[in-house]
Amino acid sequence: MKFQVRHITEYQYSAPVSLCYNLAHLLPRNTSQQNCQLQKLAITPTPSYQQIRSDYFGNQTLYFSIEELHNSLTIDVISDVEVTPLFLDQSLDSSITCGQLRQQLQQTTLPEQRLVKEYLFDSPHIQCSEQLSAYTDDCFIDQQPLLAAVQDFTAKIFHEFTFDPNTTDVATPLEQVLHQRSGVCQDFAHLAIACLRSVGLPARYMSGYLETLPPPGEEKLVGADASHAWFAVYMGEKLGWVEFDPTNNVMPCEQHIVTAWGRDYADVAPLQGLIFDGGDEQHLRVSVDVKRLS
Amino acid sequence: MPAKSDLTDEKASSAFTLSVYDAPTHAYDEALDETRLPRHPWQFLLQQLQTLGDVGVQDCKRQAQRILREDGAVYDLSHEVKTSRVWALDIVPNIIAASEWQQIEQGLQQRARLLDGILQDIYGEQNLIKQGLIPADILFTNPAFLRQCHNMPIVGQHALLLHAVDMVRDVSGQYHIIADRTQIPSGSGYALENRTVMSRVMPETYQQSQVRRLAPFFQTLKQTLAALTLPWTNTPRIVILSPGVFNSNYFEQTYLTNYLGFPLVQGGDLTVRNGKVWMKSLNGLVRVDVIIRHIDDVYCDQAELRPDSMLGVAGLLEAARAGNVVLANPLGCGILEAPALLKYLPRVSEFLLDEPLLLPSVPTWWCGEPDDLAYVIANIEKLIIKPTSRQQGPSIYGHTLTDAGKADAIEMLQAQPHLYVAQSYIPGSVIPVWHSDGLQAKPSLLRTFSAATLNGYQVLPGGLSRVGAATEEMIVSNLSKSNSKDTWVLAEKPESPITLLSEGKNLPLPVQENVPSRVVENLFWLGRYAERIEMNARFLRTLLKKLYDIDPLSNTSCTLLLDVIARQTTGQNPFNDQLQQSTYLCKQALINLIATDQQGSIKADLQAILGCSEQAKETLSSDTRIIINGLRDQLHQLDQFQADNQVFSPEEVLDNLVTSLLALSGLYHESMLRGLDWTFQELGRRTERALKTAALIQLAFTRVLAEENAQQQVLESVLLSAEALISFRRRYRNHSQIDYGLDLLMMDAINPRSLFYQLRQIQQCLLELPRSHASPESELITQCLALLEGVNLIELVAVETTSQQREKLNLLLTQLMDWLGQFTKLINDKYFDHTSAPHPLSQSNYTTN
Repeated sequence: MKFQVRHITEYQYSAPVSLCYNLAHLLPRNTSQQNCQLQKLAITPTPSYQQIRSDYFGNQTLYFSIEELHNSLTIDVISDVEVTPLFLDQSLDSSITCGQLRQQLQQTTLPEQRLVKEYLFDSPHIQCSEQLSAYTDDCFIDQQPLLAAVQDFTAKIFHEFTFDPNTTDVATPLEQVLHQRSGVCQDFAHLAIACLRSVGLPARYMSGYLETLPPPGEEKLVGADASHAWFAVYMGEKLGWVEFDPTNNVMPCEQHIVTAWGRDYADVAPLQGLIFDGGDEQHLRVSVDVKRLS
Repeated sequence: MPAKSDLTDEKASSAFTLSVYDAPTHAYDEALDETRLPRHPWQFLLQQLQTLGDVGVQDCKRQAQRILREDGAVYDLSHEVKTSRVWALDIVPNIIAASEWQQIEQGLQQRARLLDGILQDIYGEQNLIKQGLIPADILFTNPAFLRQCHNMPIVGQHALLLHAVDMVRDVSGQYHIIADRTQIPSGSGYALENRTVMSRVMPETYQQSQVRRLAPFFQTLKQTLAALTLPWTNTPRIVILSPGVFNSNYFEQTYLTNYLGFPLVQGGDLTVRNGKVWMKSLNGLVRVDVIIRHIDDVYCDQAELRPDSMLGVAGLLEAARAGNVVLANPLGCGILEAPALLKYLPRVSEFLLDEPLLLPSVPTWWCGEPDDLAYVIANIEKLIIKPTSRQQGPSIYGHTLTDAGKADAIEMLQAQPHLYVAQSYIPGSVIPVWHSDGLQAKPSLLRTFSAATLNGYQVLPGGLSRVGAATEEMIVSNLSKSNSKDTWVLAEKPESPITLLSEGKNLPLPVQENVPSRVVENLFWLGRYAERIEMNARFLRTLLKKLYDIDPLSNTSCTLLLDVIARQTTGQNPFNDQLQQSTYLCKQALINLIATDQQGSIKADLQAILGCSEQAKETLSSDTRIIINGLRDQLHQLDQFQADNQVFSPEEVLDNLVTSLLALSGLYHESMLRGLDWTFQELGRRTERALKTAALIQLAFTRVLAEENAQQQVLESVLLSAEALISFRRRYRNHSQIDYGLDLLMMDAINPRSLFYQLRQIQQCLLELPRSHASPESELITQCLALLEGVNLIELVAVETTSQQREKLNLLLTQLMDWLGQFTKLINDKYFDHTSAPHPLSQSNYTTN
């Protein structure tokens, strides 16, 4: 399946900004399932300095700085992404159990598995807690097959939480999300990751896009899509990292486009920046389109 | 022949009669052996101390304190410029024999190579984790591991350029490293200052002891940094990045600046443009190639690290990542300070260097390993428990715990074992310190310094020895909280003296390119405040004198003059009619203008001038620092008077102030190079004097006093305060009209306190400034001069009948002050930097499902 993703970010400032430095995760990365081609990258005003690099997690980062006075900043990115559907061996019985994975990680001598441990620990937005591990009930007891367990857990979040963009923001703590049982995709991904790490299972944060389809009979609206977030769990040498989307209760197959992954949102924020001057107010507008090409 | 070699052991011991402390029970004694006689390297020193006796040693101590104070060797400015404390230096150095040092040196060189290897691996291939040599937890749970610093380019052989360690000796005499310092390996500047002081207060002992010199280390450091191969320059500009005057080690930073000859900058003095680092100088932006930083990793860049940092340079990390600047040390090296690493260094050394670790670390257990956890719980009272990262809380000393405390600690360890390490408690060897007529034993800690060379590492032959206050315990890791000692590493053969000062290879850069504009701005304000305080002090002094004069002030002149001084200082006039009835109360009100905390008082201006001098500390000569110290003392004294509610003589305070400020201006006229830093200070002084003189004349002479006597008193007081009364009397003899007075105060081209003279001097200064030809600011000064030159004094002092005021004079001075105000604003905008603090972009939330 081939998609074209257009992601426009626009900031308006109440007074001119004299200088800004920005780090963006807006360029989808190549993975075993997807192949990306950057079609357009337009930043206005034109940066005086711009670099595309690969970061610690292998994500594509875009660094730029603008040194002229400006009242607004626009970043327009168009990428073509070809996604190969994932055919996961669905014979769940053959998957590793939760207990086996925990033991494997403890005793591993495999170089790559030692690095996987990075996703077991707390990260800027995610702190493990007894409360979070309690929420997993008995989903992840030792004898449970891991794949089925995570599927069940994904479904649990999907059914027990309401999607509501007005109840949280980037800084809302997980305890509150858990308490109010509502949030957005980012909260659900963080919650799932935190719960998994709280019971000793490595999980990472996936950031990207999702193709959405209009209600039957209606035209798809331009700019109606948005960034999306989900998570992946490490399932041993054979399966590697397997992805789950708790917001939609699916395992991403070919409608999810990955931009970047990391320990949590902080590692892969679409745009982080620092400005000099610019007054007291900033207005941010984001528009995303995921268009199917073939 | 050095006196030392004449002494045989036998002679030395028979001559040794100093009263000494008891043998320490659980610690190695640096100076004395089991028989309580000096160890060989200490014999000469102890004998010298004995010869000096208590009086001699006390004298050395006093001398040392004086030098330290004059050098500005203080720490902990802690937001109060006036309360800084003088660096504590004990007069008995720590002595290390040549053979012993050789082993330490090799161990430290190896350790620096090892940490350099670890740093490169952690931020590169991570083989140490992949091969299981360092448990993944230790790296991945530590907030000092900055993933942003992955794969940074390395210029030259080493990523790690500077390295300091804290070492202690155990009871057997073996050294153990207890901590590595890599983010800010501070202390070498204090070591250097200690040496400078010791070589001055005990010159003979020092010279005859054949002590290894410190200068070659710094010379090699300079050469190494200058030789870094940067594609864009052959002569890298190197700066020292300081967190600012309130940092407890600010003195060290200014000291190293002067010793190494690199400019001292603060975060705001630098800016990243085009992915490169630049210093804001008077000539605009100049490129910076190497930064020796004294700021912790996470505070260095608001764009990618902590956005709330007040100290950093936004964009610095990317500039380093792009290879456009070299940082000593590189960002992210804070991970090397993780105590848990100590446990694994022996096997990492075998892996990375194929060598056994030469210098042991203090025995360390990482509680993430079940066996270690069990050991720690069983032996908790013998251990120090530390969080794996410095940010995560204080250390716990097992032997200080109660049973309940022990249980709590164990519970804490069991809950998150991987976040804790435990270390053996090694109290440290004892070193003698001088204590009235004898020696006392104090536990000690040694900090050493290493720096990269082109093909390895060199170690400073010496270091910073610190001794604990208590006899029993040594819990010192903060530089500033202990007594320090010079460290004498003995040489096998005499070394030829060199200092960095004699080195003439690199020509110094012109000042305007080598000093950040912040420093120049502070010199400008230093000049302004010096002038402001001096003029106010003079006027106050004059008034105090007049209050008790044989020819007392008339009521009207007194009212007017008190009003003038109030407006020239705090701006609020406390002198109501009732007050003026009492000379005593008037005097108290004048004293209040000196000592109140209100803006504009003498005290407030003194605080301001001290603040400016701190910001420009590295540019001040040692004599200037003596005067500044004097001003600090006077401020302190004022506080003391107030706190104790003491009656003090304001005349004496003001006399001292005026004398100090005259000395200051004399120094800067006679001893300061006429560079741009001088010009800006001069500009500050002249502008301030012009502004204040104009204000004084306006306040004193606009109003016409009916009684001739009163008018005369005002004129004389003003002239007296401007040091012009004698000239006035000599020049005009019997005439005492206002116009003659104004001629002297305003128009006179040869009176260095006249308005005209100030404007001429300002004009001269402007010729020296870059980009000032035909500029609006020089235009303004030309206008001011033209205005004065066109004045007819008789007309100027004419009294308007309706208002009974000298309106023309009033108008002229208002105009002058307005133009001068505009002038300072233009200078400010053009030459000084006014970047406000940055703030982060707001983040979007997700809204998809």
